[in-house]
Parts: sequence; C-alpha cells; structure tokens
Amino acid sequence: MSTTAFLTDSTLCIGCKACEVACKEWNQIPDDGLMWSGKSYDNTVALGASTWRHVKFVENTPIPGLGGNSPQSAAWSFSSDVCKHCEEAGCLEACPTGAIVRTEFGGVFIQPDVCNGCAYCVVACPFGVVDRNERDGRAFKCTFCYDRQHAALEPACAKACPTKSIQFGELESLRRAAHQRLNELEARGVQDAHLYDPRESSVKGTHSIFIVRGDPAVYNLPSAPDVPTVHLRRGWTAAAVAAGMLLTGTALAFLGGQR
Amino acid sequence: MLYQHAAPASVPREGRRASRRCGFIYHLGHRLKAKSALDKRPRNEGLNALTWNYPTTGENEEPQIEAVLTEINGYTTSDGQLVENYKKLKADGSTACGCWIYSGVFPREHENRARKREPQGLYGHGWGFAWPSDRRILYNRASARPDGTPWSEKKKLVWWDESRGEWTGLDTPDFTVTKRPDYQPPQDAKGDEALAGDKPFIMHPDGFGWIWVTSGLKDGPLPAHYEPLESPVRNLLYPRQQTDPAASRKERPDNPYAASPDARFPFVLSTYRLTEHHTAGGMSRQLPKLAELQPELFCELSPELAASRRVANGDWVKISTPRSAIVVRALVTGRMRPISLNGKVVHQVGLPYHWGYRGKSKGDVVNDLLAISEEPNVRIMETKALVCNVDPCSPPAKALHSAGGKP
Repeated sequence: MSTTAFLTDSTLCIGCKACEVACKEWNQIPDDGLMWSGKSYDNTVALGASTWRHVKFVENTPIPGLGGNSPQSAAWSFSSDVCKHCEEAGCLEACPTGAIVRTEFGGVFIQPDVCNGCAYCVVACPFGVVDRNERDGRAFKCTFCYDRQHAALEPACAKACPTKSIQFGELESLRRAAHQRLNELEARGVQDAHLYDPRESSVKGTHSIFIVRGDPAVYNLPSAPDVPTVHLRRGWTAAAVAAGMLLTGTALAFLGGQR
Repeated sequence: MLYQHAAPASVPREGRRASRRCGFIYHLGHRLKAKSALDKRPRNEGLNALTWNYPTTGENEEPQIEAVLTEINGYTTSDGQLVENYKKLKADGSTACGCWIYSGVFPREHENRARKREPQGLYGHGWGFAWPSDRRILYNRASARPDGTPWSEKKKLVWWDESRGEWTGLDTPDFTVTKRPDYQPPQDAKGDEALAGDKPFIMHPDGFGWIWVTSGLKDGPLPAHYEPLESPVRNLLYPRQQTDPAASRKERPDNPYAASPDARFPFVLSTYRLTEHHTAGGMSRQLPKLAELQPELFCELSPELAASRRVANGDWVKISTPRSAIVVRALVTGRMRPISLNGKVVHQVGLPYHWGYRGKSKGDVVNDLLAISEEPNVRIMETKALVCNVDPCSPPAKALHSAGGKP
C-alpha cells in the first residue's frame, strides 16, 4: 500500500493562488463570496468549507522609517496551506457517524453522504482545517483528491502549481526530497528554513509536510499539534476523581444527618 | 515560442464545430469567401483569389494542422517538400514560406517541433520551438569574447569550437555557424557576409549593439533621462529640459496636467496588475473563483503616508489627479515605502487597475485618473508615473453593505 503525501515548499511559493483555483475547479466548490479582507493580498483568509487550499501571505515588514532607498528588502512570504491528513486524526476519532475514513492512500476523507453535520470534527482538528458548510451544516475539507488518486492522477493543486512549490508523491521519498532541498537552501545561505513534519507530536506525523522559514506558527502550523483524544485518560480520571469525591461528600452528609 | 496546444475534447452540441482556434479561422475563412464570391466588386479581389483549401478530418471538419504548418514552415514549390530551415529558402520562387522566422518548426515529415514536450538542458530545447531556429537567447554570440571563448564560465551560451570549425554550445548559435571569430568581410560583401566574426548583433547593418541610435527613435540618438510629464521633482540631470521634448501632451481643458512639482498633488501614483485579474478585468471579474481572490479595488499606501493622512487599513480614501477622482479602499502595507529624492521624501501610491462598473466585482475606473499623452516612439500614455493626492473620505453609498470584510 502506498502512502502518498504533499510536500509544500514555501520557499518556492510565488503566491499565485493557482492551487486554490485548481482545487475549487476540480472539486466544484463554490466561491467564498466577494469580500475584501484588507489582509495583504489574501481575501480567502483561511481554510474553510469552500477553501481547501489556502495561500497565506506574510508581510515581513521592514523597520519603520527606512525608506525605499534602503537596501534592506521587504520580503513577502507565501505558503499554501492544506489539510494535514494526520496519522492520528482528531477529526476521524471524533466522528460519531463513521463519515470520516482513512483511505488506501493514507489520507483522511469525509464522506459527504454520511456526514450528519454534528461538527465534532471541527473542534477536534488540531489545525483548524475542518469547517461546516453554512448552507446545510455538513463538514468539508480537502479530500486529498481521492478521485484523482484513484485514477493515478496527482491532486489538482499539485498539478496546477507552476513552481513545484506543491509536490505530490510517496511520503518517504518526499521526506528525502525535503532534506535534500534544505541542504541546498543551507548551502545558499538560507539558515532559517526547516521541515515541518510533526512526527514527535500526538498526531504521529502527517501526510502534508512543509518547508518553511522561521516560526512555523506564522504559517498556521502549530509547533505541538495535539490530537484531542490524548487528553481522554486525564479527562476521565479527573471526572472519576470528582465523581468519587462528590459521592463521598454526599455519603458523609447523610451519615452526619443520622447522628 | 511556437507551442501547439493539445486539442480540447470535442463539443457534442450541434453548431459548435469551430471549437478549436485553427478550425474557427478555417471555417470563418470559408464563410467569408462564400460571401465575397457573390460580390465581384474590386475590393473583394484579394479574398476571391485567396487559396483556402486545407484538407480536413473528422465530422467537425477540422483542418489538418500539419497542412497549415507546412505553409508556415515553407516548402519547395515544385514538389511540395518541407524546407529544413530559413537558410534553405530561396528568393527565386522555388520555395514558399508563410513567415521566415518560423521556418524550421516543421523541418520534415512527422517532426512537428511545436508539439515537442521533451525539454533538455539549461534552456529547455525540445519544449516547443523558439523562433528563429529554436534559439533560446537572441544575439547569444555576445556571450563570447571577440575571440570566441566565453566571457563567463558560469553564464556561457555559445563558443567557437576550433577543432570542428563551428560555433557550438548550450544554445543554438544565433550566428552563422561556420563563421570564424576572426572572419573579416571582403570589401564588396553584402548581407550576412558583410558582418565580421566578432559582430554578434546580426540584425543590425553594422553588427553592433547600439547606444547611439541614428534612425528609428524619435527622441534619439542617445538614451537620456527625462522626468514624467507630471513629477514631484525637477530633472536633476538636465535642469533645462524637464520632460521628453518629443512627447505629445495632448493638453486640453479636459486633459489638464499638474505642475512639476505641484503642492496639490504631492504623491507619486503608479498603476499595475494583480496576478488574479486580466487587464481591465472584463473577463476575470466575471469568474467567481478569480473575483473572490481580489474582490475589490484598493490602493496601497505606506504606513508613513497613511499616518500623515490619518488613514487606517481598510478605510475609504479619495485619490485625485487634475483629471478625476476615484474612491477606493486603503491597504496600508510596509511593502510600500517612501523614497528619498535629493533630500526630499516622496510617498508613493499603488493602484491595481482591474476594475470597472460591470461584472461580479465592481469598482471605480483607475484609468480615469490618467492623462492622455503620447510617448514619441510607442505612443503610449504614462500609466506608471503620475502624481496624485490622497484624502480620507466616507464610503460610497453603494459599498456600505459590504464594508467590513470577512468576519
């Protein structure tokens, strides 16, 4: 069984948003509405029920007061965000209807005909990816182009990306490609680039890995994503202790009353 | 680049047979010829004499692209053989060619180079066909010293191979392949033979690249610095000549100009494009999946300029020039920076120009701000450098419902 993945290399992203448009065209998702955000050139703002690829625009503003004659350049960084397709997926574990399944390609897929719109997955996603459709309340997110992968095609976003910022392939070979790219970048003097691949966290790795510069949190990539079920034991223990204490207190109150 | 796109899936509906561009032109040509055949007036003689007989295939009667390409590439008139490249074309009528720079795109049967998709090497030879002769960088002889060795090992393109007696390299030489670097033309030589082996600019009669241009340019012969017709500063290089003397200002009461400088219009204005829209947006603003990415007209202001005019990100501002005024949203960004010109701080205002009054996404017409002028050579108006003023203002009534953006 092959486990496929995305490698999104933000150092190659030019912010053209072709991935967003290709995703919407292939998956026939509607537009989000015409709303100007005032946040750089980003008007889709976040991943959502009708935005499954989202290009983040990060303006690394130069020191104020330095004019255009200053040699200091104002770097504008872009990165295309997508569902992480976690190994331990919070959404999948939270889904009470079985609508969310693990596919043979390793991705996490929401079956729209089974989803009942309870939104447990929305709060269970450590990356804030899953979102409910405002019209009928069902949850939607990146399908990992399950239909295209079935036909041995790469996902629409990777196909459309003109700079190979979005690469699609076998997870392990993409990890190798990422490390090779990082060595290349370091040789060129780029010291702050690194691979975002949260294998050490409770999500146990993802099928979307990213090369980013600087703090990954800037790109909506939390440093320690947690699948909510890791808190279950502590939660139930606390509940049991509380229940025990209440029971003891109640018992004591009755015992005291008998005197 | 000559690049033949793969044919799209055929359209099943009746009456849409001209779904492909080549087919469209072919069938349009037939309709026009059918009309002109009924009208023998002299003005139709050209169309009536035109040969328009490409073989067609399929139920949609698509013309055979190879037949069209044969005419473009060139062929021998006696037996219809394809010519290999433009050097095989003759001036005596024994060959015919639609366009000499494209000659070589179809050098022999079954070798349509416009369909090639096998890029190789640094310059992608094998992907389409770059005219002429698949040269990827024009005048690439200039990448080598007069003696034929590369100026730079890192940037080398072509060089002289003494052992083979020809030019070779990473690109197709844009030079007569067998012409030695030390070739000197004889006294009575003509055409390419009159150019010495160290003269790379083969389309110029003397083979040199030109800074001193004696013909063609209306404001030559030397490059000069002129300020735009409207500028916040005086011309430091030529204090007595502020602007291009050959430019046409087309000044009229409805096409007035600001002075240079002008206290009423202290800022530089430049218009430009966004990735998401195409020119004035007539097509792209109709497509919801493009319009949502850039849904509204905005101007870009530096934090310094915004603070001085008491404008916050997302506020409405009025941008005015001597011609007109428009109302737009302000995008305050550190990417825009004031520049210091001869000790004077000059602020810049950036405006994408993709909006108009129709379509899914509407906005004021940025081109209304421009002056109608003509640069002397290409006769295009100054859209990238003019002056303006910026003032905060209240939102236009029609925009009130959408103000505020996304929650």
